[in-house]
Amino acid sequence: MTAQAEPTGSPDPGAERAAKIAEFQRRDKWRRRLPLLPALLFIIVVTQIPFIFNIWYSLQDWRIVPPRGPDFVGLENYTEGYTNQFFLQSVGISITMTTAAVLLSLLVGTALALLLDRQFLGRGIARTLLITPFLIMPVVAGLLWKNQIFSSTFGVLNAIIEAFGLDAIPFVERYPFWAIVTVLVWQWSPFMMLIILAGLQGQPTDILEAARVDRASSRGIFTQITLPMLRPYMELGIVLGAIYLLQVFDHIEVMTGGGPGSTNVPYFVYQRSIGGGWDFGQAAAYSTIVVIASIIIATFALRVLSSLFQRQEPV
Amino acid sequence: MWSRDKLTKAGVGAMATALVASTVFAGAAVAQDKSINVAIVGNPQMEDIASLTPSLFTEETGIAVNYVFLEEQTLREIVTRDVGAGGQQFDVVMIGMFEAPQFGRNGWLVDLNQYAGGDADYNVDDIIPAVKNGLSWDGGLYAAPFYAESSFVMYRKDVLEDAGVAMPDAPTWDEVAEIARTIDTDEMAGICLRGKPGWGDLGAIFTTVANTFGATYWEAGENDTIGAAQIDQPEFKEALQFYVDLINDVGENDASNASYNECTNQMLDSKVAMWVDATVAASNLEADDSPIKGKLGYALSPTKVTDASGWLWAWALAVPENAPDKDTAWEYVKWATGPEYLATAGDILPGGWATVPPGTRQSLYENPSYQEAAAAFAQKTLDAMLAAPIDNPGVQPRPGLPGVQFVGVPQFQDMGTRCTEQFSAAIAGNISVDDALSACQAIASEFEGESW
Repeated sequence: MTAQAEPTGSPDPGAERAAKIAEFQRRDKWRRRLPLLPALLFIIVVTQIPFIFNIWYSLQDWRIVPPRGPDFVGLENYTEGYTNQFFLQSVGISITMTTAAVLLSLLVGTALALLLDRQFLGRGIARTLLITPFLIMPVVAGLLWKNQIFSSTFGVLNAIIEAFGLDAIPFVERYPFWAIVTVLVWQWSPFMMLIILAGLQGQPTDILEAARVDRASSRGIFTQITLPMLRPYMELGIVLGAIYLLQVFDHIEVMTGGGPGSTNVPYFVYQRSIGGGWDFGQAAAYSTIVVIASIIIATFALRVLSSLFQRQEPV
Repeated sequence: MWSRDKLTKAGVGAMATALVASTVFAGAAVAQDKSINVAIVGNPQMEDIASLTPSLFTEETGIAVNYVFLEEQTLREIVTRDVGAGGQQFDVVMIGMFEAPQFGRNGWLVDLNQYAGGDADYNVDDIIPAVKNGLSWDGGLYAAPFYAESSFVMYRKDVLEDAGVAMPDAPTWDEVAEIARTIDTDEMAGICLRGKPGWGDLGAIFTTVANTFGATYWEAGENDTIGAAQIDQPEFKEALQFYVDLINDVGENDASNASYNECTNQMLDSKVAMWVDATVAASNLEADDSPIKGKLGYALSPTKVTDASGWLWAWALAVPENAPDKDTAWEYVKWATGPEYLATAGDILPGGWATVPPGTRQSLYENPSYQEAAAAFAQKTLDAMLAAPIDNPGVQPRPGLPGVQFVGVPQFQDMGTRCTEQFSAAIAGNISVDDALSACQAIASEFEGESW
């Protein structure tokens, strides 16, 4: 009921009061929103305006080597783009690389978290050391693994292999995909470990105690109680990990510099633009395709996840 | 409304800020009136001049020089971005024979003739003509050569002698491969060949092989266009298969990651016995502090069906058209590429006279100190540069400006880098030679019919 809906002109004290409350609530809402506006404006300026420019560029034929354009070409960049075999290859690499790295680091991270959840001497030190890989800059991590662990000339791994009388294996060159995944897993396991550890330490002790009183086996406690409770944490780890790992660039740049088996979508777009292709129109079109695909996938994933979260709550 | 130009500049500026963090400040202790930023490739001769700049240049002129050392591939990206998209990060940039005429044609670089032409001290006529031509376009000189090179075979005389084989002065690839297979041992590989992706890395040496096997990337199209891609031809397959087999049988370790610097180190460490690469490498192998000084022999670049296959290249200093202070920039270029540096550096450099930047000026080859120190390779370098088939590198016409180890069209760097990624993967054994070839054919076909 609102003041405008009142048919007669005579002042009704109840309606007047309702109108005042509505007015107050409206103002109150704006008073709360106002401080957020600069942040919103900032987000729009740094993400949405560049994106509109990106769409505009993607409709142009624009190169600097050899200098050409910009000329408006409509959707030509898109029709050429999504059939390009190298773009499709990079999409495949992005998907498999992200999946492999996220799942493996979740596995390793969970194992480490379970170990760290026990009481032992020096737990704090062990935890700090285990977190360290996550704090190392990606470029440093890539170079470190490439030159000091994988390299067949200076690498520790190959020194060990050679000590057993076997031939050195140039890991990065021979297995570029798995070399990069290994480093990603090394860097991201601590992240997963932290999330899972938070889940483990948030377990209500009374339920575990009750289970023990009921003589449930350790394995039973783990599979029946701990794992289901960790599920939302794992899902969170997967979503956050996937968001970051889809954007991997640094490791690829310093370890392989691209190539079949290691060029993912971000690296491919870099190569088409400032990384040697100088074809800004085409690169912008690829970026737009990726953004649209990401939005579709992210919407889908978030919907699945939020429903999962809700299902977890009654437990 | 922001102009596109301004946006590009803002982007380049942001990248430039990141670069400044890695800048090496030379001559910080000297009183400075002005300073310039110079982007150069991190090869030994460039590191030498950077270490001598404070004492020889800044002290004399009061101009401080901030060097940014970059890998070849990174340098190309950054320089193209800087001069092509209108950034103002660098006063002087190092570019090669591939870029100089093209960038000059695009109007991105200052024509150095306006400074060098009337300057008797600089003596522009002293520059070796083939090098000067390679850096010119339409009568303008767009970069001043810092060092120039061809490619040739460098081999350990002692190792070949022990194995009872001899290297001809002008060998064929079949002869070189046979010698490499004979001298290869577990401790010392038979040959070092580049395998690192990049048109200036693996691309440079492999293109000379492809040329002399009768292969080419593209046909010449009509009216200055790029013709049909030719990577699916049998000659190309023969060349790549030969190269991959030779490296895998008797090549260096980690071949798909090796380029000029890696091979230099493996030669110095006696891990490889032979190397086909840039003539400038001899300066380091014969330096006073080299453990293999005096043990090396040199022969012309190996051939197959053509008469000569050596490349022609120069690393040269150029001044971007949008550089803020062109006169100061030229003062530096004049010093770094002039006769005076060549005449004084030899006595100061730790590696001695042999390590002076070679291949750019006649006067260096007439200098008695250089003649003595570089006796082993000076004449061979000049011979190789004169033999380089700059105007007709293969058996068929190809598009673009002249070039041996590259096709003189701007599209080549993109095609070359992506194709060499495939070739490098074939060397590593990730993909087959046939897969590498068909991928490269698809890449090269993207450029068919484009004008250059």
